[in-house]
Amino acid sequence: MAVRTAAGAIGRWYPVAVVLLAWEALSRSGLVSHRLVPGLADIAQVFAANMASGDIPFHAGISLGRALSGFGLAIAAGVVLGVLMARVRWVESVFEPVFSFGYPVPKIALYPVFIFVFGLGSLSKVALIFLECLYPITVNTYYGIQSVDRKHLWSARNMGASPAQVFWRVLLPSAGPSIFAGLRVALPISLIVVIITEMIGESRGLGYYISYATASFEYASAYAGMLAIAAIGFVLDRLLIFIRNRIIFWERISGAYA
Amino acid sequence: MQARLARLGKGLALPVALIALWEVAGHTGSLPRYLVAPSVIANTTLSMALSGELLSDTLDSLLRAYAGFLIGACLGIALGLLAGVSRAVEGFFDPLISLTYPVPKIALLPILMSWLGLGDASKIAVIALGVFYPAFINAYYGAKAVNRLHVWSALNMGATRVQVFAKVILPSAAPQVLTGLRIGLALAFIVMFAAEMVGAKTGLGNLVMEAEASLRFDLMYAAIIAIGVLGFASDRLLLALRRRLLAGRMAGHADHA
Repeated sequence: MAVRTAAGAIGRWYPVAVVLLAWEALSRSGLVSHRLVPGLADIAQVFAANMASGDIPFHAGISLGRALSGFGLAIAAGVVLGVLMARVRWVESVFEPVFSFGYPVPKIALYPVFIFVFGLGSLSKVALIFLECLYPITVNTYYGIQSVDRKHLWSARNMGASPAQVFWRVLLPSAGPSIFAGLRVALPISLIVVIITEMIGESRGLGYYISYATASFEYASAYAGMLAIAAIGFVLDRLLIFIRNRIIFWERISGAYA
Repeated sequence: MQARLARLGKGLALPVALIALWEVAGHTGSLPRYLVAPSVIANTTLSMALSGELLSDTLDSLLRAYAGFLIGACLGIALGLLAGVSRAVEGFFDPLISLTYPVPKIALLPILMSWLGLGDASKIAVIALGVFYPAFINAYYGAKAVNRLHVWSALNMGATRVQVFAKVILPSAAPQVLTGLRIGLALAFIVMFAAEMVGAKTGLGNLVMEAEASLRFDLMYAAIIAIGVLGFASDRLLLALRRRLLAGRMAGHADHA
């Protein structure tokens, strides 16, 4: 049995090995500069060294803190706003245009303004992450609550449920999958924005670490930094799916990017 | 009609009130320097648009965003549809995509600039990479979700594999493919702007940074507005395209925006 699952895992993950081998071959072929495309062993070595020295954990911690603060604030504000938009007429008429027109506008363009308002430190980055994440979360919550089956609402009310009970037992659970879909869109955005803003004006964080390493031709360090941000992105996404499946246990998702 | 107008009025209430407040504060001089009054911004934007100053940067940005979008979208859709119909292709791409999907692709920008140079190629490459993922994933799901019965019926009636692909799988996957394109388009503009802010000599992102550095705040807002308009107009263009492509099949479908 164990052998079979092991064979299955190899069968499933062989493409990763193919890509890594291709990289190693390219590195050794002499066609490209070894400095620009270092061998896998070199990257692993630099990664391990920078992990041990505390460099990568330090910068990764700062990036992670910023991304999660902005993301967390956007969840709190976005879910509340989305619910209000779906349930209260005047909130909807005031905010719906702001969200439908603002949705396709790249909010990242406001970063220079944010620097002036909130300074160069973490605050301007967290604020921009908050703003970028707010849109998908609010819009998905809004649509989720809107599409709750009316019959469920009527039945709940008919059976004497209080407004609070209707909210917690009917509205929120029905909108749950949609809300989590919004979170899943927003999470990678928070990482994108934190990396960009750190590349532009910062002396801490993984975005800075990567751009600094590249600028000083330490490409192996740059790859190590990318490895770190890749790992963070991957783990956070898996974590979000894990939490989602615990909360919305009646409609689990599984598989690669489900 | 009247109800619609009333709705529109309410919707405009918040933005209009904010802008009016901003304008008044600008004239009484109680704003910090970086918040230029809206009328000044409008003036600069208009005069720069008319004189053509804004045009060359806008065209540069647009070219990068669209080139990256087209490359990423074509590759993503083609491979995604293939993965949806072929076990072998699916087996190869599935683990790679699922591993790299949550990784912020913009982190590759510095290294892409070392590989491809500081010119347009590196920016277009990172935009294409960002667009590829949503295009691939949605095309893949669209092709996978095809009703098996339709495929079997087509095969049973003697359709070739190519015909099945063109007449059954492609049309049925189209809505999902377009959803992926819409996500990709929004990403293309974010990545374009970010790439231009980090390392470009032209383009709107670079204009914003330059204007900010030389404290020309009116210019900065003009560039920001131009980016907003481009992003918004491109999205509307894609929606119009979707309506044409899916004409008659989207009855009762509420648009996302």
